[in-house]
Amino acid sequence: MSWLYLIILIPFLYAVIVPLIFKHIPQIHTGWFVLPIPVLLFMYLAKYVTFVAMDSPFIHSVPWIPSLGINYATYVDGLALIFGLIVTGIGALVILYSIYYLSKEREALGNFYVYLLLFMGAMLGVVFSDNIIVLYMFWELTSISSFLLIAYWYQRKSSRYGAQKALLITIFGGFAMLAGLLMLANITDTFSIREMILRADKTTAHPLFLQSMVLLLLGAFTKSAQFPFHIWLPDAMEAPTPISAYLHSATMVKAGIYLIARFTPIFGGSMEWFWLVSGVGMITLFWGSFSAVKQVDLKAMLAFSTIGQLGMIICLLGLGSAAMYYGPVKEAALCIPAILAALFHLVNHSTFKGCLFMVVGIIDYETGTRDIRRLGGLMGLMPVTFTLAVIGSFSMAGLPPFNGFLSKELFFTGVLNASRLDIFRMETWGMLFPVVAWIASIFTFIYCMVFVFRTFAGDYQPQKLEKINNEPAWGMLLPPAVLASLVILFFFFPSLLAQYLLMPAVASVLPGFVEASLGIGPIEAWHGWTPELIMTIGVVVVGMILFANYHKWSRFYGYIPVWFTLNFAYDSLLVKTEKTFEKITRGYMTGFIRDYLLYIFAFFVVVLAGVILMLNSFAFNPDVNNVSMYEVVLVFVMVVAALMVLLSRHRLVAIISLGIMGYLVAMFFVIFRAPDLALTQLVVETVTTVLFLLCFYFLPDLKNKIGEIGFKAANMAVALGFGLIVTVIALSAQSNRLFETISWFFENSYELAGAKNIVNAILVDFRGFDTMLEILVLCIAGIGVYTLIKLRLDSRKVSSKNR
Amino acid sequence: MIMNNLVAFPLLIPLLAGLIMAIYRKSIPFQRWFSLFSFSLICIISFYLIQQVSIEGIQILELGGWQAPFGIVLVVDMLSALLLMTTGFIGLTCVLFAFGSIGEEREQFYFYPFFQFLITGVNGSFLTGDLFNLFVCFEVMLISSYVLISLGGNKIQLRESIKYVVINTISSTLFLVGIAYLYAVAGTLNMAHLSVRVAESGQPGILTTVAVLLLIVFSLKSALFLFFWLPGAYSAPPTAIAAIFGALLTKVGIYAIFRTSTLIFYHQLEITHTLLGVMAALTMLFGGIGAVAHWDIRNILAYNVIIGVGFIVSGVAIFTPASLIGATYYFIHDMVMKALLFLLGGTVIRIVGSNKLKEMGGLIRNHTLLGWMFFIAALSLAGVPPLSGFIGKILIIQEGLASGAARAGFYWLAAIGLLSSLMVLYSLMKIFINGFWGETLLAQDMEKGDTKGLLLPCVLLTAAGIIWGVGAEIFYPFVEQAGESMVNPNLYIEAVLREVV
Repeated sequence: MSWLYLIILIPFLYAVIVPLIFKHIPQIHTGWFVLPIPVLLFMYLAKYVTFVAMDSPFIHSVPWIPSLGINYATYVDGLALIFGLIVTGIGALVILYSIYYLSKEREALGNFYVYLLLFMGAMLGVVFSDNIIVLYMFWELTSISSFLLIAYWYQRKSSRYGAQKALLITIFGGFAMLAGLLMLANITDTFSIREMILRADKTTAHPLFLQSMVLLLLGAFTKSAQFPFHIWLPDAMEAPTPISAYLHSATMVKAGIYLIARFTPIFGGSMEWFWLVSGVGMITLFWGSFSAVKQVDLKAMLAFSTIGQLGMIICLLGLGSAAMYYGPVKEAALCIPAILAALFHLVNHSTFKGCLFMVVGIIDYETGTRDIRRLGGLMGLMPVTFTLAVIGSFSMAGLPPFNGFLSKELFFTGVLNASRLDIFRMETWGMLFPVVAWIASIFTFIYCMVFVFRTFAGDYQPQKLEKINNEPAWGMLLPPAVLASLVILFFFFPSLLAQYLLMPAVASVLPGFVEASLGIGPIEAWHGWTPELIMTIGVVVVGMILFANYHKWSRFYGYIPVWFTLNFAYDSLLVKTEKTFEKITRGYMTGFIRDYLLYIFAFFVVVLAGVILMLNSFAFNPDVNNVSMYEVVLVFVMVVAALMVLLSRHRLVAIISLGIMGYLVAMFFVIFRAPDLALTQLVVETVTTVLFLLCFYFLPDLKNKIGEIGFKAANMAVALGFGLIVTVIALSAQSNRLFETISWFFENSYELAGAKNIVNAILVDFRGFDTMLEILVLCIAGIGVYTLIKLRLDSRKVSSKNR
Repeated sequence: MIMNNLVAFPLLIPLLAGLIMAIYRKSIPFQRWFSLFSFSLICIISFYLIQQVSIEGIQILELGGWQAPFGIVLVVDMLSALLLMTTGFIGLTCVLFAFGSIGEEREQFYFYPFFQFLITGVNGSFLTGDLFNLFVCFEVMLISSYVLISLGGNKIQLRESIKYVVINTISSTLFLVGIAYLYAVAGTLNMAHLSVRVAESGQPGILTTVAVLLLIVFSLKSALFLFFWLPGAYSAPPTAIAAIFGALLTKVGIYAIFRTSTLIFYHQLEITHTLLGVMAALTMLFGGIGAVAHWDIRNILAYNVIIGVGFIVSGVAIFTPASLIGATYYFIHDMVMKALLFLLGGTVIRIVGSNKLKEMGGLIRNHTLLGWMFFIAALSLAGVPPLSGFIGKILIIQEGLASGAARAGFYWLAAIGLLSSLMVLYSLMKIFINGFWGETLLAQDMEKGDTKGLLLPCVLLTAAGIIWGVGAEIFYPFVEQAGESMVNPNLYIEAVLREVV
């Protein structure tokens, strides 16, 4: 029996009581109460390692909305477990770090830890969910908790800006992903990812294959900050540093990677997937490392570095997906190292980047700045921090004896292998991959050097710092130290990691390939004078030269015009969209009822004319419409009266013309032999005309005050069209009496209801309910008029008080 | 089948309550308690009706003992029952909100009776099985809304109510014209009977034309594409009234669209339902454009009402069993959430004393609960799971994206639906980011109004929304039954006409 589905919910449940703890136990830092959660979760998840290594995945399903196939299903395999351990492991370290980073006196810790726990639970949910709807739910929740955490200091304008940007981009991606997932669900007729994988052959042949793939990738690319959606990540650095270390480098931004890895069994093996994933990844790798070099804010530098590193992992996943093209045969062996490298680097990146972010947090905390132009020479002040920074950066640069070296070598293996592929037009374009990878690695090397040496070496400039302190408390040093020691540990014992975590994960990305044992060699630090090693040496040599001459060529970055940047595009897109939308809305929402009526009548005319023409539904049957002379005359007079209402220049004339129309209607009742209706109509007409005259006596003269209304052709056309349509439908309806009316029933009114007058019987008996409600209408109208006259609230007083 | 007198109660209770209250107009405490009593009773009876319908099927009452199609029948199927229940609940919360916000003058001038009369019209529309009676119920609802919108008679209210009254009068006239045409062609106005006769005749061109005419009428009422009257009208009256408008009035029009296009005119989908789809898409687009463009709370919320209308109707346009179930889920979600949103927005305006986002900020510091409720409402409306909007949204989008089904080819509608969700989120987050975040501009003692008694109804609505989403499974059998009676008109016909056809 697995309790995993409950375990994932623990962070959510705990988030409910955190505000209470914060409120009632203010003397102890709330973080201490939160810390046990990720620690326990980590220990619990670690239990699964041995099971998963023996290739026995767990599935457990709890019904949520079973009627719609939405079940809360948790699934543990190698891939999910890697992410789960990173989320809880780094989570524990980050919380420990945050206890010393955030002051319990000044900060709203309750909010902070609630958001953090929400995120942790959501992220675990994303990686362990098998049901796509549940996965989507947790996916959006990670975006939302990230939004809340970025704007943790919501008083700052830049925080709010960053939060909104992140939310818009990731939610946009989330919606796209939802559409993609729903298409997949339609194709495979299931919400379960595992079953989708089993029915993958259905997907490949489906006409919506490409659409669902692109939409899904949009979700992954926005979340993992891939080019050109990466722009939200640097602005997300407004979040407190522990959050940047946790969400925006180690975990949340890797959700996209998880998604791509998870869906490789479905989409992998197609050319589009291969090129989209690896191409976007490669561009992002280049652009991220290229942009990182020019940053002067340490956190921004790390943000761009993260973008680049994520691109690298995604590129590897794309290259490795080619294995699906071959199936588990010998040719696929070229591709598998790429997947292994991706997963290995994923782990490594979490360790060294987490460590580096925490180092930046320490520098910021102790000196009050993160600007490398103001920093320098901190080596003497903070030797421990310096050591940690060296370990982290050198690992990122791909130097031994750190884990980054191993995964960088594997990365080179991956791209070199890919360039030897002879499918997907790789024969032509394949060489691009090693070349771009190599150049990007040089930039990576440079900014790593900048990070270490511009901060810790060089001249110490205390006058530029806001405060000067030495090493921080042990609690801030311990978490990065743990990560740094992992960086070294993984270098010396990579096969341990590979056996228990990486290979099971490879097995979930490429099902059926690991069993086929296609000769994936162990990860080793030394494997002779391979091309990979030569590339690495090249990176170091060229990187050193460029770093030494940094001031000479870095000016080049200044030549990129502002309007050319994606950020500028995003900002102006947002502003322009809002402006354009405002213009559009103001354009038609004029506030004048005559315009609104014009739209309504025009719509009426166009749509109904269209329908009548399309269906050819106009019919005129002279037999049914035996029109008498009287009726023709009456109609003619009515038309004249109506025109007079419009054209008259005096109210009196208009009112009288209106009265004429009413009396003519009464005449129609006479012709159709309904004397009581005619009488009623006459009375009503008389009364209303008198009332009108009474009221209009007090109104200004039409001609003088309101003036001439100009002739408008469009209005005329719409008015005529409207009249025409109504008439045409009336004639057609009259000529198309398909059924006998139910009125025969009422002719028997004397027997049925004891009434000699059929109209009365209908009004008070057969349809008495209508009459009752109409009386209610009159009653409401009466009281309404009374209130309208009596109750006049001063509008100024109202707007403030009675809203 | 035995007649069920209970069916008439959701209409009679507010009618009688309103009349009684109108007599004791000076006694405000009495009117308040009586309003609560009336809405609670509506809720209880609707709940009981839901149970009955789920066990025994559709319930009817032939008024005056005259058999359909000759007399008027009241019909409660699951869709009506669910809507009645929701209406009762929303009425209850809005009236609670009115206690603390509407002001003594309006209370003395028949606010509570008008409120009851409005609900009479709304409930009557949900109940009636006769097209002409639907027109009458519309009239009851509209005349009450005319009075409510102008109650207090300040300048903005009068200016906007003129437009509202004129446009609604025109649409009522067109409704009457459409009914006359329909009677001429089909010879009956009972909806079940109409359904039988339209099916028998195979819905020739003239009937489709009349169907489109009625569709335009209901579009005017429900703000489906022809929504020009809405933003002004909904931003004029006080919050409690605006909320009931936003939650209920357009929904009655949507209900009429549901009924007519599932029960009566479903034989020429390529005309009627395609038109519905196009109009829904345009509604969502223009609604979204308007919501994004504005920087004041009332307009943003009003345009969000419009987007919601478009989204609900998309479910009808796609017209598959699942999309209709989705539309029903979304329908009720939208009612609850729009009420909540208007109440929250109104509270913010009351606190700040301004409607403009640029004049507020940092409210969350002193109004934490209010802020988070707004946040939840915004996410619900964007369809973020597990909140109330997601089931409906997922079902409608999924059906829209389905291919190979009988009604394929609604990708564009699904795409616009998702895009509109993004615009909803953007526009509402704009309120959250600018109103609740940022520097706190007002100290607590400088605020223009207090929130005393205003948060309770908001909490109730928020809780209802969360339960509707998380507990979707609990409601599924009912919603499914509502969908089933739309997919299969025979259920309705058999219940109403019994043996007589």
